[in-house]
Amino acid sequence: MKILEANAGPLANYEVLNFLKSKGASKDPTRVLADVAPSEYKVYDYLIETAACNQTEENVGEFLEKCEKYDLAKAEVLNIINIRPSTAVEIYSIIEHCDMRLGEAVEELVEMATEVLPLPPTEPATEEVNIEANKKTADQDNNEQQVDEDQEKASDKEPGQTS
Amino acid sequence: MFYLSRIEHTLRVPPDILSRPLTDAIKAELEKLFLDKVIANLGLCISVYDITSIEGGFIFPGDGAATYTAVFTMIMFRPFVGEIISAKVRESDANGLRLSLGFFEDIYVPANLLPDPSHPEPDPRKRDRVTWIWDYNGEKYVIDGQDEIRFQVHSVNYPPIPVEQPKESKPFAPMVITGSLDSDGLGPVSWWVGAEQAEEEDEEV
Repeated sequence: MKILEANAGPLANYEVLNFLKSKGASKDPTRVLADVAPSEYKVYDYLIETAACNQTEENVGEFLEKCEKYDLAKAEVLNIINIRPSTAVEIYSIIEHCDMRLGEAVEELVEMATEVLPLPPTEPATEEVNIEANKKTADQDNNEQQVDEDQEKASDKEPGQTS
Repeated sequence: MFYLSRIEHTLRVPPDILSRPLTDAIKAELEKLFLDKVIANLGLCISVYDITSIEGGFIFPGDGAATYTAVFTMIMFRPFVGEIISAKVRESDANGLRLSLGFFEDIYVPANLLPDPSHPEPDPRKRDRVTWIWDYNGEKYVIDGQDEIRFQVHSVNYPPIPVEQPKESKPFAPMVITGSLDSDGLGPVSWWVGAEQAEEEDEEV
């Protein structure tokens, strides 16, 4: 074996997923007939649960275009696409010296990322619904009970801690 | 996380699969040889992406098979240092955490790279197992193994293959990733969803 080129280009998670899908990984429910190895199915199972599962060429292309003005390194952009951060705190760890380089633009970048890149369908969606539901019940409690201010504050903080 | 690598390899193609088209036959042989294996300093082989060229077809004297030289591209799993990856907890003991991606399970987060300050608490249900807890501003955040965990790649090692392995040791792992949770935004995903929510509510109040 001879390694001609160790790095012939990075692949984003969604590209690997599309490649596995094109081999027939998503079509065969028995997982025996398609020409896909068991180890490839493990990768497929991992990727289908990440943010990559709904991303398309167009989504990511649009994101890359809008990303240019932030002057990010390629690896950072790739990492953002793979993780799809939905809060600013998640981006801090991805980008080196985030405060110095981006400053206030972080929020803008997060907003843009969540807007352009599609939502992963399963867990995070239900989490958000739960939070909203919690919020609603908390609001209702406040209206119904009309307790004094201190107690209201306490109940307001509850959903954040429990979720 | 995933990279393409170009590799040249000389392989023996047994005659029983030569009835198939040559590229298919060689691809099947390559998959048998490389898939789910680690090449040192190159990473874990995920899939044969395409075959660029096939040369040869020489039959050595006394050998009943054709030998080809193929140049092909392979999808490799090779995380870079500093990358953020989401994983699930596989084991949690006094030394730290062991995480799993499903297809790759040799990811270790040692105790000194867990969020600071953390302390372990013994698991009442299982012996030798502990639950790690991060104490932050008097609040306890538990790494409970339920949710997805984001970790940062601290280093990737390819230990040399041991000549002799001591008995009852762990199975040899050709690629070991050391992860870190000691930074904002890392750890179970639910920690940070909650934090953001609490911050917003504080502002509203």
